[in-house]
Amino acid sequence: MFEVLMYDGGVYRSDELYEIIDDVGGVVLQKNRSSQMLTVVMSVPEEDRAAVEAVCRDIGGEVREVPLAGTEIAVVGPTLGRHHMPHPICDIAEILRRSGAVTVVMGMARGRGKKTSQISMTERCIIDEYDGAIFMMGNFKSCVETKAELMRDIHVPTLLVSGPVPEGIDDTCDAIVTGVGRKAARMRSSEERAKLDEIVEAMERILEDKKRSLDEDPLFVHPAEVKTILEGYEPINMCLRPAPMVVHLDGLRIKIPYTEHREYLENVQVYGRKLGDIAVIQPSKIDDSSIVVRIKTRSQVEDEDRRRASE
Amino acid sequence: MEIEIVGQDEYGSAAYSKLFDEIMSDLNKAVLIDRARLTLQPEGPLFIFSIVLKAAPGPKTIGDVSTVRNDVGGAHVTITEERYAPDILQELFKKYGRQAVTQQTRFDLDVKDAKEDEVSAIVVSSGEEDRREIMGALWRTMPEGIKNRKTFMSGGVITVVATEEILLPEMIEAGKAEHVAMGGSADV
Repeated sequence: MFEVLMYDGGVYRSDELYEIIDDVGGVVLQKNRSSQMLTVVMSVPEEDRAAVEAVCRDIGGEVREVPLAGTEIAVVGPTLGRHHMPHPICDIAEILRRSGAVTVVMGMARGRGKKTSQISMTERCIIDEYDGAIFMMGNFKSCVETKAELMRDIHVPTLLVSGPVPEGIDDTCDAIVTGVGRKAARMRSSEERAKLDEIVEAMERILEDKKRSLDEDPLFVHPAEVKTILEGYEPINMCLRPAPMVVHLDGLRIKIPYTEHREYLENVQVYGRKLGDIAVIQPSKIDDSSIVVRIKTRSQVEDEDRRRASE
Repeated sequence: MEIEIVGQDEYGSAAYSKLFDEIMSDLNKAVLIDRARLTLQPEGPLFIFSIVLKAAPGPKTIGDVSTVRNDVGGAHVTITEERYAPDILQELFKKYGRQAVTQQTRFDLDVKDAKEDEVSAIVVSSGEEDRREIMGALWRTMPEGIKNRKTFMSGGVITVVATEEILLPEMIEAGKAEHVAMGGSADV
């Protein structure tokens, strides 16, 4: 059984950390360096956790448990305007990052207004690329209830965060956290911090269902293993975008152009199989500069093999 | 600043009272407002925000925003309100010419061959800008989707009626009635 941990500390002697992760057969899921500070999200075997923790402490860092590690979550507001965007959305994104998730903040092109808010099919498809989405709504009950329609037909787990308690919209999202509406200041008070923790817990809960379904029919290969194999590919290695590879629950996002690298990715060998055979490789709906890899489940791969053999 | 909320939405009313106070304070406009009445009808949607200013914004002269005294060979100006510094310089350049104005420090100016009373009387702000800033702050407090707005202004009362799609005549009438109730004139 693997456990996901986050190291938070300096870059000094960090090579010792990478060494022990490698020695125990663990994987670095996410690495983020900012000046002399470093955060590393890693997956290590349960029995070696103590040894890894000891090294982390020895090199002057802290180790935390990160329940949302290995996920990429979209925090969606009706718009990116100052009315919706600055405080609660940033605070939510920040607390999710502290819990190990990679987050993106997104605003809809025509999401403002009660009667006039809309979501386009492209926006829905973009949100579907993530592991989950948090929709941040406002302070008026009738507005929240009307705008809940924006979440319909989104296939990833969705969490609604709003000020009032809405009624009759349970079928549009997977969970609701209330008490956080439009704000003009950061969420600093202890009650507000508790609300943010509640949001993380709710997100964790709704992602649990997705994880459970993946346990029932496991992926052919774990996304972190594909990430390790691809780390040596020079365009990814040289990519200057933050987190060039982001692990999802069922695949990964690679931030290099699709048209240029599709062929290499389809033919890369993963445990004797081509990646193109065991995963669906598509350009991101945002634009051509990212690739979304969705790894097929074992049953899917077996089924395809059987079909190919019978032809 | 006294804030009165008229609305049925329990959570929204409480949240908007706080939001209005915080935004106005952030933008340094709370000190200018005596009282505010916010009518919130999200079902419509119709929002009427009406405020009464402590004093109607009027024209400001150099004497109002700085200290002016006669000095050897002219007048000396010490700017006390920094935000008017560019306007003061501009007006002095316009009237006396660049060569006549010497800036000793950021806030101290010498004006050659000028007299205290004539420098003090120069208008640097018509008050229109203050009104615009207050209106901008008022719009910022409103929900973002509420884009169709009509503003009434008379004396120290500013009322904004806003909705999402068509601003119906009855909505404008409701806004006018609110404006009058807050002490504004009916002929706006």
